[in-house]
Order: sequence, then C-alpha cells, then structure tokens
Amino acid sequence: MLDLLQSTSDGILFGATYALIGIGFTLVFGVMHKLNLSYAAASVGGAYCGLLVLKVFAGAPPLAVFFCAFLAGGLLGYVVYLACFHFIPISNPLATLMATVGMLLLIDEVIVHQTDGMPLNYPAMFDDVMLRAGEFTLRGDLLMVFVVSILCMAGLLALLYRTRLGLATRAVSQQTVAAQLCGIRVGQVNAMTFVVTGLLGGIAGAMIGASVGTLSPLLTTPLTVKGLIVTVIGGLGSIPGAIIAGLLVGGFESVLQQYRGVTERDLYVMLLLFVFLVFRPGGLFAPKGGRD
Amino acid sequence: MKKIAFAVALAFAATGTLAQEKTIKIAGFGAKSGVVRGFGINSEAAMLAAADQINKAGGVMLADGSKAKFAVEFLDDRCTAEEGISVIRRIAGTDAVVAVGPTCSNVAEPLFGILQKKVDDKGDSGLQMPVFTDVAIKVGLAKISEWAFRNVPNEITMYSSLFYWLKQKHPEMKTVFGGVEEDFAHSRATWYVVMKDRATANGYTIAGETKWLLADTNFATQVREMKKANADIVAISAHPFSTCGVLKEMQRQGVKPKLLVGLTSTSTLETMQGCAKQAEGMMIPTSFAPVTKEGKSASEATAKFKGAADLHSMAAWENMFILKQVMESEKISGKKDAASVQADRRKIRDGLAKLKVTKGLLGETKRTDDREADKPYLFVQAKGGNWTVLHNPL
Repeated sequence: MLDLLQSTSDGILFGATYALIGIGFTLVFGVMHKLNLSYAAASVGGAYCGLLVLKVFAGAPPLAVFFCAFLAGGLLGYVVYLACFHFIPISNPLATLMATVGMLLLIDEVIVHQTDGMPLNYPAMFDDVMLRAGEFTLRGDLLMVFVVSILCMAGLLALLYRTRLGLATRAVSQQTVAAQLCGIRVGQVNAMTFVVTGLLGGIAGAMIGASVGTLSPLLTTPLTVKGLIVTVIGGLGSIPGAIIAGLLVGGFESVLQQYRGVTERDLYVMLLLFVFLVFRPGGLFAPKGGRD
Repeated sequence: MKKIAFAVALAFAATGTLAQEKTIKIAGFGAKSGVVRGFGINSEAAMLAAADQINKAGGVMLADGSKAKFAVEFLDDRCTAEEGISVIRRIAGTDAVVAVGPTCSNVAEPLFGILQKKVDDKGDSGLQMPVFTDVAIKVGLAKISEWAFRNVPNEITMYSSLFYWLKQKHPEMKTVFGGVEEDFAHSRATWYVVMKDRATANGYTIAGETKWLLADTNFATQVREMKKANADIVAISAHPFSTCGVLKEMQRQGVKPKLLVGLTSTSTLETMQGCAKQAEGMMIPTSFAPVTKEGKSASEATAKFKGAADLHSMAAWENMFILKQVMESEKISGKKDAASVQADRRKIRDGLAKLKVTKGLLGETKRTDDREADKPYLFVQAKGGNWTVLHNPL
C-alpha cells in the first residue's frame, strides 16, 4: 500500500511538468488548430539557454537560471511562430506540421552540437530536502516543481480569463473570422500565443531539468511524445484537460513502473492513449465546437 | 619558343605528379549523435591525433618502398544498426582500406553479420571489408565474421578480477544489488552475462536487480527497490546519463551502499562532469588510465584534437598504430584502383588475423584466436572529480 501511495505521489508531482508541456501543445492547437511538434524541444532549448546565466555569473542562484529559461523559452516560441507558422499558408496544415517537425530536429541538433551531446548539470532548489512521514517521503525539489507548475497554470488561466489578450485569444480560438471582424489582429494574437506558450515551455524545461538534475538532448523526444499523449487525453484545446491529463499520465506511469517494471511501463501508457482514442476520442474535456 | 614553353610546362606537371602525396584512407565510424555522441567524438579525435603523429614521423611504408600518409574520415552511424550498415557499405564503396568502429554494440552485432562469415567462402557474398573495432564492447562479437577484429577489453576477465579482489579486500561484504540500463545492448549484457555471473562465481549473493531505460529521468521506484534490498555492493550497469540520474536519486533517498561498482563505459569525463560528487568512490575496471609515458602522450595528443582519453578512445589510438604495423608487414600497395584496394583490404585482414601480440598503452595486449583482445587493465575509482588508479591487478 505504501509503495502504491509513494509511486502515485511521485508520479503526480513529476506529472506537473507533463501538464505544462501538454498545456503548450493544447493552447497552440486551441488557437490555431495546428500542432506545434517542436514545443517540447523548444522547452528543453529554453532550459539550456537558462544555463547561459551560469556562464556569465558562475555562482548565480537557481532562480536566475529559471528566469533566463523562462525568457529564452518565450523568445524561442516567437522564433518557432515566425519560422513555422507566420509565413506558411494557414490553408496548408501539413506544411506547418512538417515545419514543426523540422524545427524539432533543428533544435535537437543545435543542442547536441553546442553541448557535444554531454548532459549538463541543472540547478535545483530544495533538492536536499526530503519531507518524511514514516516511510513515506516527498522530495522537496519535486514539490517545488509541482508548486511552480501550478502557479504557472494559474497565471495562464488568469491571463486567458482576466486580460484583454486572453479575451482576444479565446475569441480567435472560437471564431477566427468573427474575431477578425471585431478588429482583433489575429496574426498578433497568434504570435503572442506562441510567446506565452514559449514562456511556459521555458519554465517547464527548467523544472524538468531541476527535477532530473541534468539536462540532456535525450529529453526532447520522450517529452514530445508525453506532451502529445497528455494533449490528446486531456482534449485538444482544453487547458484544464491538459492539467488533469498531465497529472494522470505522470501518476499512471509511475504506478505501472512500480508493478509492471520499466520495460512494460510505456506499453501501458500507450494503451491508455488508445483507450481514450477509442472510447473518448475528444479527451477528458473536449472543448465545444465553434459556430463555423 | 612554343616547344620550349611546352616542355617546361610538361616538366612542371611531371614534378607536381611525382610530388603528390600518397595517402592511405582509413575510415572511422561511430556515434556522433545521440546519447553516446561523446564516444564517437573522442574516437575521432584519437584517430586524427594518431594519424597526425604517424604522418609527422613519415607515414606508412608501402610495398614499393615509398611512404604514404594516413587520411582519416569519420562517419556518423547515429548508434543505430540501419545507419551503421549503410555507413559500412558506403565505406566499402570508397578506397578506404580498413574501417575502425563502431561505437555501439547494437550496431556492431548486425554489422558484423553482413560481413563475409568465412574468408574465401565463394558462396558467401558478404562484405569483404576489415573492421577493427575500438569501442563496441559486448562480449563475443568478433567471432561473427572473420573480417571482424576488436581491440576492446574483456569484461568477463575484468569484472571477475574486480569481484575477486573485492572479496579478498572486503570479506565481510556478501551481497550485490544490480541496477541495469535495460535498453542498451552493452549495459544489458554486462549485467546479465558478466557482472551478475562473476559476482556469483566469487561468492556474492545477488540481492536483486532493478531496471531502467537509457532516457529515463525518474528513478525513484528503482532506488526504493535498491534501498529495500540493502545490499553491501550496488553494481550499476548503465551509461553516464542514467548512471548520474540514479546516483542523484540515491543521494536524495539516502541510499549509501558500502561499495559502488560501475560499467566500464562510465569511467569517463562525462560522468565526472555530470555527477562527480554522487559518484565518489565508484570503482570500475578499465583498460586505460594515463599511467604510462605513452598513455600520457596519447592523452595529450588527443586533447589537442578536442577529444578525451578513455578506454574507448585510446583503443582507437592503439588501432591506428597496429594498422600501421600490419600494413607495413603485409606490404600493402596503396594503389587506388578497385582491385588493388580490395587486395590491400585482404592483406590487412590477414595481417590482423596473424597477430599474436600488440603494443598497447598499458602494456602488451594478447590477440585471441577469435579475433578479440586480451588487454591489460586496472581498477579506477572516482575521487575528487577524477578517475584515479585504485589497484593494478596485473
């Protein structure tokens, strides 16, 4: 019973990072009805950029690294928008999808070339803290990652529901033509969406680096896959869905690893995806369709 | 006047042709992308450094008495079997007389499978290209083909010796718990076929084992299993990235075995850069440490080509000098036409097969009948951010 509780709590805490990645995928899909497959790679890229702070100021605190990753993520998000979406006709969905695949590979290669493929240490906060209740433990750094992730999600929801930008974003996602007719600059909203998701991605990458302790180019592919799974299970375009799905996938993965071993773990995560695709293809919180 | 000018021009052209440097092409191949990219980079650097040293000393003597310089080209096989096979076929289509590689055992095994199994077997249309491996270390691969040769240490011998030595030094320690990177051919084989077997043979009880994947980032479950087992020795058969992940999780959960044993490929700079503090005290058997004059010199030369010296890259260095020796003893022609290139490849293969002993950076290396190497080795330990020599068993 203790093992079950421990695996579940560890998985849910780590699943907060999957939720952040899933939110990035789902937000772009919600606004532009397109998938940005380079999102996880850009998140990891943002996290790597965060380490530049340590090159300039050797003893910089972890918060400075996270902040730099946050900003770099936003910048990378804008670059991805320009390279893969802005100049490509909206009417050609395959072109943007393939462009983002190319961008994923490009970011991966740049990381590998700049770091020679070597994993780099990533600073963490409270990594020496372990909260104990008998045999049950909670990692201090994972708790911090969880809290930061929740705060980011809350910040995003506040942005979407309490600001003009959020209003414009929701309008564009529901009815692009009508939003345009109302004077909303769709191009600008799309660009800001990528910047906002990029900022979120930078934090996600930094939190993942902090929880793992090292950053490696190895992380981009599994994070992309997990992000897509979370997005589909949560419901394409649903932010609450991505949050719940992220925590669900994290917990599920951890519990299955405990009882079925690491070699079968990913098998069951994929089976979970197939179950949702067959029985609930819209995901947990399928958003209502627009009037078009 | 025109005739004089023409004659002068002809003379210059002839001089130019005569002065054109002869080269012998050696193709290197290995992982230059992916998680084990470091090994490919280091092997390339070692090959280039060795070639540079050989060329500065005049190069390799050909059958006609002239000398040729080594030209090294290193190709990326991405640590995948498909790419490795594609690369070796590409190399076979060039004038390269031998290939040095690959990095990954999961590439070496299928790659050796496409080489001609038995020399002079007219019914076997396999590739006739000598491959001299520097890194791929999974046990017993060279016997797949008579065109495959390896200069890698024998992990069975090394771990047997290590566990024997540990038993003598620490007789109070009885149990071993294994952590294994399950989806990588080398790490997987080394735990199941080597470490587990050799530990048992030396009187240890296997207290259990736990598994993870190469790209895993969360090791909480595995380390909990390790903690429950409470073994005296924890043997981690994994490459640097996941080894560091596990060691950091062990630190978080307060898991402190009396001894830590690591995989040969983890005794590298990458581990020290990733988790020097957590790896403190880890012991690994290795076939290279810069303890001899030649070793130090090779290490410095490789660093000039932006590579690090470890048991794998220094095998690549040794391979270059062994190949020089073989080329000279077998009197290769160095000619570039297809028939001559193939003839030279055959000579190199036969020369490598004849070798009984080669010169290594730690001392003499014996060659076995199944085209493997019996290399000298020692035990290193992670101390203060460096791999230091713990014990020389020979």
